[in-house]
Amino acid sequence: MTPFLDVFCTQTDRHNVFYPLLRQIMNKDSQMRAAINQKLIEMGERERLKELLRAKLVECGWRDQLKAHCKDVIREKGLEHVTVEDLVTEVTPKGRALVPDSVKKELLQRIRAFLAQHATL
Amino acid sequence: MKMEDMPLSGPDNTKLEALVHDIYSELVEDACLGLCFEVHRAVKQGYFFLDETDQESMKEFEIVDQPGVDIFGQVYNQWKNKECECPNCKRLIAASRFAPHLEKCLGMGRNSSRIANRRLASNNNMSKSESDQEDNDDLNDNDWSYGAEKKAKKRKSDKNQNSPRRSKSLKHKNGELGSSISSESYKYNYNTGISYETLGPDEVRSLLTTQCGVISEHTKKMCNRPSLTDADAVVENDSFDIPDGQMLMSRLQWEDSPDISPTDSASSKASTNHSESRKPKKKKRTSLGLNSGGSGSSVGGGGGGLTGGSSSSSSSQSNISLSTKKKRPKLSAPSITSIYDDLN
Repeated sequence: MTPFLDVFCTQTDRHNVFYPLLRQIMNKDSQMRAAINQKLIEMGERERLKELLRAKLVECGWRDQLKAHCKDVIREKGLEHVTVEDLVTEVTPKGRALVPDSVKKELLQRIRAFLAQHATL
Repeated sequence: MKMEDMPLSGPDNTKLEALVHDIYSELVEDACLGLCFEVHRAVKQGYFFLDETDQESMKEFEIVDQPGVDIFGQVYNQWKNKECECPNCKRLIAASRFAPHLEKCLGMGRNSSRIANRRLASNNNMSKSESDQEDNDDLNDNDWSYGAEKKAKKRKSDKNQNSPRRSKSLKHKNGELGSSISSESYKYNYNTGISYETLGPDEVRSLLTTQCGVISEHTKKMCNRPSLTDADAVVENDSFDIPDGQMLMSRLQWEDSPDISPTDSASSKASTNHSESRKPKKKKRTSLGLNSGGSGSSVGGGGGGLTGGSSSSSSSQSNISLSTKKKRPKLSAPSITSIYDDLN
């Protein structure tokens, strides 16, 4: 329970006052986010960024590293019984951590540039 | 998205930064998920562990890193210095040159026939030019293009002096010289470097009744095409006297260069006949028909041949028209005129 919600104790308060307020605050941001995301997709930039990231990750060996980790997980869980969820939960955090800094920086740079060009704030 | 993470106040910059990071995180997560799905599919389809081999094979195919050897352990220029014996000519050829040599040696491959023909042609020219050096000098003075071509031909044939094929073909030719008609043509080729001057009238007649006789500017060879109206030519030429070589030459000249007018009526007479006998393929008798139609005189006629002196001018005109209409691409006017210019 967040501190905000403590103020509005009753259900009705929460639903009638807090949530709408929250929604209003969030709406602006989420609207903006939604708008930006939409622009990213429409202009093909998201796809380009995805490809760029994939290429860089393969190049730097991230993919092979992660694949090796997958092998360990599979051997651990057993070949027959491994599920997607197993893999995802094991692999994603490691994957996030293993991304080299240079790649991360470059991608952030590109996203910032895109926003600077196309986001209206 | 948690509430705490959301900056409710503050500059837009932080919001923007947060947004940027969020977008980045989404992209990375996409990549991770992609990998997970791929791996999972590979596991379920059974090809995930295929790239792993046992230790023994791994050792066998390990990358080699020694000097003088490539990564597979093979020596680079192992066969460079070896020699192979050609099954055809029994010579020892270097390995890298073996395939092209075989191509030429066996007479297969795209260029081998072309090269062989060219060699034979230049060999003919070589033998011809070697023997009559002095006469060629005279001609060189008069017609520079002719001379330059001779020089070019010489250079080219010099290239082939030492090849085995050259000696082979020369021997071959020398052996044949006394025997066949083709040898006769070689002899004449040999002589036409000087021109028809040196041949006696009978020789020229016999030569020209059987063959085309045109000397090509490029190869200096006489055209060996058999004239189709051999029979007709015989009939016509019975009554046709060639007093000297000059008439014959102007006859030839007339045939090939319509813009040069005949020097005397005799030559035009000769040309009439000549043009008739010379157009066997296209229109055998219609040429004569044209003649007679045009000039209205008794220029035509297969039997008599010779026309009277009176019709010489008109016949010459009709001949001009005839020659212009039926210009044969094979006959090269300039070379013949150049030869005969000398005489004139």
